[in-house]
Amino acid sequence: MNYNRRKFLRRVSAGGLAYALSRTPGTVWGQMAGAGGFGEYRALVCVFMFGGNDSWNLVVPRTTAEYNAYNSARGGDQGVGAGLAVPLASLLPIDPVGTTGAPFGFHPSMTGVQQLFQTGKAAVVTNIGPLLAPTTKAAYAAGSANLPPQLFSHNDQQDQWHSLRGRTVSKTGWAGRVADLVTSQVPNQQLAVNLSLAGNTYFQAADTVSPYVMGANGPVAFSGFGTTGTNLARRQTVEAINNQTYGTIYERAFAGVTKRAVLFADRVNAALTAAPNLVALPNTGVTLSTLEQQLRTVAKLIAQRATLSMTRQIFFVSTGGFDSHDDQNNDQPVLLANISSALSRFYAATEELGVQNSVVTFTQSDFGRTLTSNGDGSDHAWGGQQLVVGGPTALLGQRIYGTYPTLAINGPDDVGGGRLIPTTSSDQYAATLAKWFGVTDSQMPQVAPSINNFTIKNLGFLA
Amino acid sequence: MTGSIKIAQLAVAGLLALVAGCGGGGGASAPPPPVPPPPISKIEAYRFLNQATFGATDAEAQRLIALGDSTNSYSRWLDEQFAKAPATQLPTVLAAVPNPIPAGFNIGSLQAQRVEAWFQNSLNGDDQLRQRVAFALSEIMVVSQVGALANFPLSLADYYDMLARDAFGDYRKLLEDVTLHVSMGIYLSMLGNQKPNPALNIRPDENYARETMQLFSIGLVELNVDGTPRLVNNQTVSTYDQSIIEGFANVYTGWRYAGGTSFANAGRATLTNQVQPMQAYAEQHSTGTKKVLSYSGAAPTTIPANQTPAQDLANALDNIFNHPNVGPFISRQLIQKLVTSNPSAAYVARVAAVFNSDSQGRRGNLQSVIRAILLDSEARAAPSAQTAGKIKEPLLRLTQLWRAYGARAASGKYTAAATGGPSATFAQGPLQSGSVFNFFSPFFAPTGEIANQNLVAPEMQLATEYNNTQFINFFWVQAIARTTAQTGLGADVVVIDTTQEQAVANDTEALVNRVSDKLLGGQISVELKASVKAQVDRTATTVPNTRVADAIYLISTAPEFVLQR
Repeated sequence: MNYNRRKFLRRVSAGGLAYALSRTPGTVWGQMAGAGGFGEYRALVCVFMFGGNDSWNLVVPRTTAEYNAYNSARGGDQGVGAGLAVPLASLLPIDPVGTTGAPFGFHPSMTGVQQLFQTGKAAVVTNIGPLLAPTTKAAYAAGSANLPPQLFSHNDQQDQWHSLRGRTVSKTGWAGRVADLVTSQVPNQQLAVNLSLAGNTYFQAADTVSPYVMGANGPVAFSGFGTTGTNLARRQTVEAINNQTYGTIYERAFAGVTKRAVLFADRVNAALTAAPNLVALPNTGVTLSTLEQQLRTVAKLIAQRATLSMTRQIFFVSTGGFDSHDDQNNDQPVLLANISSALSRFYAATEELGVQNSVVTFTQSDFGRTLTSNGDGSDHAWGGQQLVVGGPTALLGQRIYGTYPTLAINGPDDVGGGRLIPTTSSDQYAATLAKWFGVTDSQMPQVAPSINNFTIKNLGFLA
Repeated sequence: MTGSIKIAQLAVAGLLALVAGCGGGGGASAPPPPVPPPPISKIEAYRFLNQATFGATDAEAQRLIALGDSTNSYSRWLDEQFAKAPATQLPTVLAAVPNPIPAGFNIGSLQAQRVEAWFQNSLNGDDQLRQRVAFALSEIMVVSQVGALANFPLSLADYYDMLARDAFGDYRKLLEDVTLHVSMGIYLSMLGNQKPNPALNIRPDENYARETMQLFSIGLVELNVDGTPRLVNNQTVSTYDQSIIEGFANVYTGWRYAGGTSFANAGRATLTNQVQPMQAYAEQHSTGTKKVLSYSGAAPTTIPANQTPAQDLANALDNIFNHPNVGPFISRQLIQKLVTSNPSAAYVARVAAVFNSDSQGRRGNLQSVIRAILLDSEARAAPSAQTAGKIKEPLLRLTQLWRAYGARAASGKYTAAATGGPSATFAQGPLQSGSVFNFFSPFFAPTGEIANQNLVAPEMQLATEYNNTQFINFFWVQAIARTTAQTGLGADVVVIDTTQEQAVANDTEALVNRVSDKLLGGQISVELKASVKAQVDRTATTVPNTRVADAIYLISTAPEFVLQR
C-alpha cells in the first residue's frame, strides 16, 4: 500500500514537473509506456441515474401476451386510476436482433436512443442488478440464497453497483480497481484515469490512483493565483501550506485534495479552452441540461486526449430525481427525455471527434422498481434495465442482452410486489466493460469479485 | 456531565496529593488553601464554541471564559443556551409574501428569504446551540428544497423552526413532528399514501417507512450500545426486513393536508395548511394488522387491526422509539455532527446511556444528550489523537469566518448576492441536499489511510478538488474585495470587518497574530505562521489591503482552520 502510494505521488509530481516545463506530449514519456502500454485510446463513460430508474417502463414488450401482463402488473395505463403502464400505442417500436418474443418498444421519451438502437449504436441489458451468484426464487423464499446486503435500499444498492463488493468490506469501486490495474500501462497520462464530473463517488475510489473531480463545466481557476510576483508566490504559499506535515487524518486528507486541485486546475482548464466547439453539444445557442453539460466537458477532454497524453479514461457523470415514489407519470417522461437527449448528443459528439468506436457509454442506477403501483408511483426493487451506447466497431448494438423477464406479479422472478430477481449480474456487466477497457481475464476477479460464480463472464456486447 | 465530573475528580486528587505531601512534616500548621480550578483557556474556549455554535468569536470566547472556571464555565454556558427562545424563519418568509398575492406569483422565489433567515439566525441568533443542533438534525432528518418541495418555502421554513423547537426536547416528539410535517409528507411521499387495493396491484408507498428507520432512528443493522454493530457468527444482524417495511407502510396510510372533509379533497391551501401537521382521513387508512419491529422488550410486534390512524401511528412510533438502536444510532451521529467524526466506542456508549435514561430516568431527552456530548471528556480534554476532531463542513467554514469578522451587508441582509447562492459556491445550503441521504454520509471514508483504518470522514465527501477550489476562491474574494476597507460596494454585499487588521497592517507579526487569534483562537502552527508572514511581507506596507487579505485568506483556507479540533 505505502509503496503504491509513493509510486502514485511520484507519478503526479513528475507530471507536475513536466507541466512546468511545458512538456510536449508523446516524446520521452510516451516511449516509456513500453511493450505493456496500450496503443489506442479507450474511454468508459458511466451515466448514473440516482434514485432508482423505473426501467420496466424503459423497454417494454409489444407482443400481446407480454404487453398485457406488463400492463396488468402496473395497474393499467397511465392516466387511468393509479396505473403506471406506458400505453401500447405510445411505445417507440424497436426491432432487436435475435430475440424471441420481439418486438419491443422504448418509452415515448426515448426518441434519440430509439434511433441509436435501430442503427446499431445502442443496446439494452435487461433484468440486471447486483447478485453474488445466480439466484432462484425458491432459494430466495427459503432464505438460502447468497444475497447482496440490504436489497432495496438506495445507498446500499448504489454501493453495490459502484463497488460490486457483496458482503465484503472493500472500500474501493470497480472503476477505481480498474484504474489501479491499468495505471502501470499508462504512466505518461497527465490526469488520473478516473475523472468525475459529478462529485465524489465510491465507483471511482481506488487504493492507489485517486480520481480527480471537476464541475459540470470543468475545474475553476484559482482566483488569487498568477504566474509572476506576489500572485505566483501566493500559489506557492498555498501549495506549501498544504504540503505541511499534519497531525490529524482530516487535515492530511483535505490537504491532499487541495494539492491536486492546485496541480491540475490550470492544465485541465487550458485543455478545455483549447478544445473545439462541438455541434452536438455546443458552447452556446442551446440550453443544455446539467447532464449534457457534464457530457460536453467529457467530450472536450476526450478531444484533448493527445494534449493530455491520455490513453485510458473512465468518466463519471450523473443525474438525479429517479426515486419516483410520487407523481411518476408526470416526472418520468422528463427524466427519460433528458437521458435520451444526453446520450444521443454525446454519441453524436463522439462521431464529430471520430472516437465513437473508442468511447463506450453505459448507464447504472440504484435498482429497478416495483411493477406494482403505490397509488401514484413505484417503490424500491432489484432487477432493472440498462443502456449501452457506442460506435459499431466497439458495440454489437440493436440487441437486448440478458433474459427479458415475465413482467407479472407472482411471476417466476417476482419476490413480491413485482420486485424481480435479476438474471444478469452487475459483475457480468462490469466485467464486459472492463475487458474491453484492457483488464485481463486473470485480473477480472479483482474488478468483479463474484464473476467466477457466473458461467457467462462476458455478456458479449463489446468487441 | 462526565467531563466536569472528571475535571472535578482530578482537582480533588491533586488536593489529596498535596495534603499527603505535607502530612509527613508533623507540623501543626493549617492545610494550605485549595488551589482554585483554573479558568478555561482561549484555545479551549474556541474548541468548545466551534462545536456548539456556528463559529467561535473573540467576544464569545471571552464571555465563556468569564462565566467561571474549568469546572463550571461550560455547563453555565449550556444552561444559558438551553433557556434561550428559538430564533425562527417562518415569520421572515411570511413577511415576504405579497398581499394580495399577484396572479402568477412564483412562491418558490421565497426560498431566498428562507435561506436568508437561516443565515441571519445562524450568524447572529443568540440561541447558537439550538440553531447548531437544529442544523445537525436537518442533516439527519433530511428534507430539501431540491425536488418536490421547490415551491414550499413556507413549509420548509416551518420544518426548520420545528427542528429548532424540538432540538432540546424529546426525541419521540421530534420523530412524531417530523413524521406529520407536510414537508416530510411531501418529500418522502407519506402525504397522500393510500390503503392497499389488491385488485389494481396497488400497495402502500414504502418510502417513508423505509427511510425513517434507515436514516432517522435505528439504521440497518443491530447495534451495541457503543454504536458498534452487533455480530452473530461474525455477521451483522438486520434490524428489519421487507415485511416490516410493508407493515409500517400500511401504518402511514390515510394522511393528507389538514382541513379537508375527506382524503380526496384535502388539498393544499396557499399559506395555511402546509405549516400545519398532516391530518388523518380514515377512509384511506389501511385497517389490517401491521407487522412492526421485533426486539427484546418490544411487545406486541404486530399492531392490531381496525385502530384509528392516530392509534396506529402512536404504536408505530413508540415501537421505533423504544428500539435499542436509537440511542447509539442518534447519539453517534450527533457526536459526529458536533464534535468528532470518529468518536471512541466508549464515548458513544456514555452518550447513548444518557439517551436511554438521563438523570431523571427519561428516555430520548435531547437536552441531556447534547449536554453529555459537549461535556464528555473526549470533547473537552485536549485532543491528541490523530482521529480527534473533524472536517468543518463548507457552510460552517463560511459562518465561522463571517462570525469571527462580524460580517454584514449595508442592507443588513444575507442574500444570494453575498455567496453566489450557498449551494452553487459551497455545494451545500440549508435544506438543499440532493437527496434524503444528506450532502454527505456518516459512513463516508475517503480512500487512503482513513478507509484503510476503517475510520470515516463524512464531510470529506464534499471535499472534492472542485469544491475545495470554490471555497478557497470565495474566501479570497471575501478577503481582498469585500471588507470594511473597500468603498462603493452594493448594499447586499456582505463585508468582513477588518478594521483591527488594517490598524496593524504594516506590522506583519501583529497582523498574523491578530488573524490567528480570531480564526484559530491563537493556535497556529509554526509552519503556517511562517508561510503566511512570508507572503504578507511580499507586499509593501503601502498596500495594506493586500497584506491583510493574504493573512486572512491563507489562514482561513489552511487545513488547520478547516479542521474542527
